[in-house]
Amino acid sequence: MTPILFAFSSAFTLGLTGLVFHRVHLLSALLCLEGMMLSLYIALSTWSLGMGSASSSALPLFLLAISACEAGAGLAILVATARTHGTDRLQSLNLLQW
Amino acid sequence: MSPYILAILLFSLGLGTTITFSSTHWLLAWVGLEINTLAMLPLMAQNHHPRAVEAATKYFLIQASGAAVLLFAGVINAWLTGQWDIHQAAHPLPIAIITLALSLKLGLAPLHSWLPEVFQGLNLTTNLILATWQKLAPLALMLQIQPPHSSLLIFLGLMSTLGGGWGGLNQTQLRKILAYSSTAQLGWMILVVQFSPSLTTLAILVYVVTTSATFLTLKLNKATNINMLAISWAKAPALMALTPLVLLSLAGLPPMTGFMPKWLILQELSKQGLPATATITALTALLSLYYYLRLTYAMTLTMFPNNITSTPPWRLPSAQLTLPLAILALAAISLLPLTPAAMALVAL
Amino acid sequence: MAYFVYLFMVGLVLGMAVVAVNLSPYFAAFGLVVVAGMGCGVIISFGGSFLSLVLFLIYLGGMLVVFAYSAALAAEPFPESFGTTGAVLYFMGLVGVVGVFAILYIEEGSGLGGCSSDEVMGMSSCVTEYDGMSQMYGPGGFLLVLCAWVLLLTLFVVLEMTRGSSRGPLRSVK
Repeated sequence: MTPILFAFSSAFTLGLTGLVFHRVHLLSALLCLEGMMLSLYIALSTWSLGMGSASSSALPLFLLAISACEAGAGLAILVATARTHGTDRLQSLNLLQW
Repeated sequence: MSPYILAILLFSLGLGTTITFSSTHWLLAWVGLEINTLAMLPLMAQNHHPRAVEAATKYFLIQASGAAVLLFAGVINAWLTGQWDIHQAAHPLPIAIITLALSLKLGLAPLHSWLPEVFQGLNLTTNLILATWQKLAPLALMLQIQPPHSSLLIFLGLMSTLGGGWGGLNQTQLRKILAYSSTAQLGWMILVVQFSPSLTTLAILVYVVTTSATFLTLKLNKATNINMLAISWAKAPALMALTPLVLLSLAGLPPMTGFMPKWLILQELSKQGLPATATITALTALLSLYYYLRLTYAMTLTMFPNNITSTPPWRLPSAQLTLPLAILALAAISLLPLTPAAMALVAL
Repeated sequence: MAYFVYLFMVGLVLGMAVVAVNLSPYFAAFGLVVVAGMGCGVIISFGGSFLSLVLFLIYLGGMLVVFAYSAALAAEPFPESFGTTGAVLYFMGLVGVVGVFAILYIEEGSGLGGCSSDEVMGMSSCVTEYDGMSQMYGPGGFLLVLCAWVLLLTLFVVLEMTRGSSRGPLRSVK
């Protein structure tokens, strides 16, 4: 395994770990998702640069655009949750058990 | 919600699934899944009450992380093999990660616990979209990848039929029961995906028909738990006489359409030399049958001790469109004789 | 040069560990700034000057402003920082696990992976990168239109999500 492959894989896995294990705030879950997308951007850019393939070097831009959309939708959900639940703590999201 | 925005959202739902269907590149498949998720969110939270917003939040977190893991597996695959093609993803590690990510998005059993809660927060129309249309894109990707190690898929399938049956046993909420039912049905499809993808296609078609019929019935009666279902004979007596057959079709009992995929899947599993898997799957279907039968029992077979205080509501005309329900219920009950034609239709 | 690249990679992983540790959102956002900066370094050492610039502008210029705003929205009077032992232990644990995997799995003498700018040296990789960017407007036009549509869709999604059936203030009062 080359160092860059290891670096972005472990960055992504760390982001996933942070998303999965005991988040307190919805915002930090969203930040973890953002970090995961960021490490994917780095992976995609270094891959296309390393392969030297021209046609795939625009792919990271599309990835960044779509992940920006995802982050925007996530923040909209944060605002909606703050309005309905009064807080952004993930523990308050417990209405649906019944 | 403004009808223009609704049109944009529904168009984007269609666009996302179409892109995922027609893509051969992992990034484009991911874009399609993301469009699906984004367009679904306002539909889920359109009432803006806390439960709907909470369901949208959970759905967003699950789908976004599932899609991110899917794309991560695609990138890893590109680094290891230099390939972005969905059909040519051959390295076992990315394939396994992709299978798990798609299972998370579909709600297969070890990764299914978000599904009942999200279902519980939504109205029945959105639930119908979530239970049918939103399953298509991940399932299409599942059909296209090279099969991973076969015991992974069999594990996911068995866990889904078992967990889907077990989870619904103690439920009185119809939406949660249908969520568990969805998990169980998808388990059947996943069991056979590596042996005969066309059978999986057949199973998802039958699942879409029977589940749509069930959701439309519940929507007509505005029923979200068993007690409300128990008095719905007063709203639509003829429909309530038919609905047990639809539910038993969903359970997979012989004279109904739902028996078709289960029969063929069991036959395929036995042909592949997996009699133990086939037996366990058939037995776990009994768990699902229990809660379908309980619904039937509460709805039609007994008269629940609930008082109807007003004039029987079937006298009042209903404003809802009933033609789709009629067609789907008929298809859900009586298509079993068309098994050879259906198999020819989906033959790959 | 290679030392700088390793420094960037280590910074990348450490920054993500800060994001992953259960702190208040401000610190996670700060960790994301570090990750974005280090990511810029990694990409530029692979010869992708334009991609690195895009990352810098989008992240540090656009995205994190929005996140800072939202962190202010979700503000709390007693933010949890690295002062608590639990967070420090969690951080050390995460970094330790990554370190063990690094020792186990990174092969020695495998270079940086891909072809870095040391080997390709400037011109050729830059040319492919700019070729690719210009292809976005030609053969990649379908994807460009699709991305524009997704951005438009997101506008409506955000408006619908935050509208809240036209009642109430932005936040309910705690």
